[in-house]
Amino acid sequence: MEFEVQENQANNSIQGVINLQPQVNQVQAQQQEIPIKQTDLQVSSTLEESVAVTLLRDLRQIGVKLRCVLVPTMSTNNARELRNWDLWGPLVFCLMLALTLSMSGNNDDGPGIFATIFVLIWVGSFVVTLNAQLLGGKVSFFQSVCVLGYCVFPINLGALFTLFFSFFYLKMLLVIGCFMWSTYSAVGFLKLLIPEQKRILALYPVILFYLFLSWFALIV
Amino acid sequence: MQNFGSNNDLDEKGHVMTDQPKIKVKFEPKPKPSKCPICTIEFYQQFFNIEQRDVYMRVRCSILSWKPEFHECVGKNSDLWGPLWISTTIIFILFAGGNLSRFLLEEDKRHFKYEYNYMYVAVFLVYAMAFIIPIILGVIIKYILKSELGVFDIVCMYGYSLSVYIFVLILCIIPYNEAQWFFLMCGLANSTIFLLVNLRDFMKKNKQTLLIAVPIITFNVALILCFKFYFFRLIYAVDD
Repeated sequence: MEFEVQENQANNSIQGVINLQPQVNQVQAQQQEIPIKQTDLQVSSTLEESVAVTLLRDLRQIGVKLRCVLVPTMSTNNARELRNWDLWGPLVFCLMLALTLSMSGNNDDGPGIFATIFVLIWVGSFVVTLNAQLLGGKVSFFQSVCVLGYCVFPINLGALFTLFFSFFYLKMLLVIGCFMWSTYSAVGFLKLLIPEQKRILALYPVILFYLFLSWFALIV
Repeated sequence: MQNFGSNNDLDEKGHVMTDQPKIKVKFEPKPKPSKCPICTIEFYQQFFNIEQRDVYMRVRCSILSWKPEFHECVGKNSDLWGPLWISTTIIFILFAGGNLSRFLLEEDKRHFKYEYNYMYVAVFLVYAMAFIIPIILGVIIKYILKSELGVFDIVCMYGYSLSVYIFVLILCIIPYNEAQWFFLMCGLANSTIFLLVNLRDFMKKNKQTLLIAVPIITFNVALILCFKFYFFRLIYAVDD
C-alpha cells in the first residue's frame, strides 16, 4: 500500500491519495523516471527573458481580462479567465483615474483629490467585497477586488473625455453612460455568486461605489 | 512528489494510473478558537443574516416611527448591514447634495468652488452618529441600566433611525431656508420618536427612560444643527 501526499499551503491542509495496490515491482519502480515539475522549467525561463517581454505579457493579460470584464457576455471562458485574478490591472486603472482627476484644471487641491480617489477605490473595493462575503456569497476575496478594479475602466475613459469637453450636459451624459457600463459589468459578474434573496443587499454597495467615483469624475 | 508504482503509465499530472481502487483522503486542521472573537469575520457573519424583505420591513418600521414595532420586526436578528449602508448613503447625499445646494444658489456658476471637505466632515459626523454614539449608549443601557438589550441591538436601532434622513437630506437640496428647516425638523422628530418609543419598553423605570432620552435628543439635535449650518448653509451674496 502506498500513498502520495501533497501539502496544500493555501488552506493549510494535506491532500493525498492512498493506493491500495500492494507494491509489486520494486525494481521497475527504481527504473521509473521521476516526473520533473513543468513549472520548474517555466520559472527559469521567465527569469531569463527581457523586461520588455515580461511587461508585454503582463499588458496582454490585462487586456484579455479587460475584454472579459467589459464585454459582459456570460460565457464560461470569461468566468475561467476571471478566476486568475491579478491586482496589476486595478492598480493601473486606479492610478490613471486618480492622476486624471487630480490634474484637471478646475480644482486647487490636486494631491488631496489623488489621495481621496486612491483610498476610495481600494477601501471601497475591500468593503464591498467583505459585504458580499458576509452576506454568504461564494465569492473569493481577491477575485472580487480584481473585477471591481477592472470595472473602474469605463469611469476612467469618462474622466479622460470630460477633460476635453466643457459643455456640462454633454459631460453629464457621458459620465452617466460610463457609470451604467461599469455597474452593469460588475453586477453581471457578482450577481451569480450571491443567493437570490440577498442579491440587492450585495449589489447596492457596488452601485454606491461606482456612483461615488462617477460623481467625482463629473465634478472635477 | 514521487511515485513508486509498478508497470503502470503516468497520467498527465504524473500520478500512477492503476486499476486498483484509490481512496482520496483530505486532512484538514481543526480551526483554532480565536483569542479575539470580535476580530474574526465569522463573528460578524451573524449580523448579515438578513434578506431584502427584512431590510425593507425595518426601514418601513423606522419611517412609521410612532408604532413601537421595531423589535417585532427584528426579533433576535439585529443586523449591521442597515446601519453601515444607510450611513454611507447619507454621506454621499451630504457630499453631493450639500455642494449641489450651494451651486444652485451661486450666481456666478462658472467660478463655483467645490468643497471637498464636505466628504471628510460627513464621514466623521455620520459614522460617529451611527456607530460610536450607539456603542457608548448601548454599553450604558446594557451594563449600567441592566436592560436586556445588547450593544449591537442599539447599534442596529440607531442605524435604522437614520434612514429617514436619506429622504430629508435629498429634499434639503432645495435652496430655501424655511423649506430646509421644515424638512430637518420633520426628520429630527421622526428619528427621535422612533428611538424613544422603541426603547421605552425595555427600560425598567420611568426615571431610566428620562435618563436615556436626554442624550438621545441632544445628539439628534446636534446632528441636524450640523447638517443645517455646515452642509446646507445658505450664504447669500451681499449686495454692496
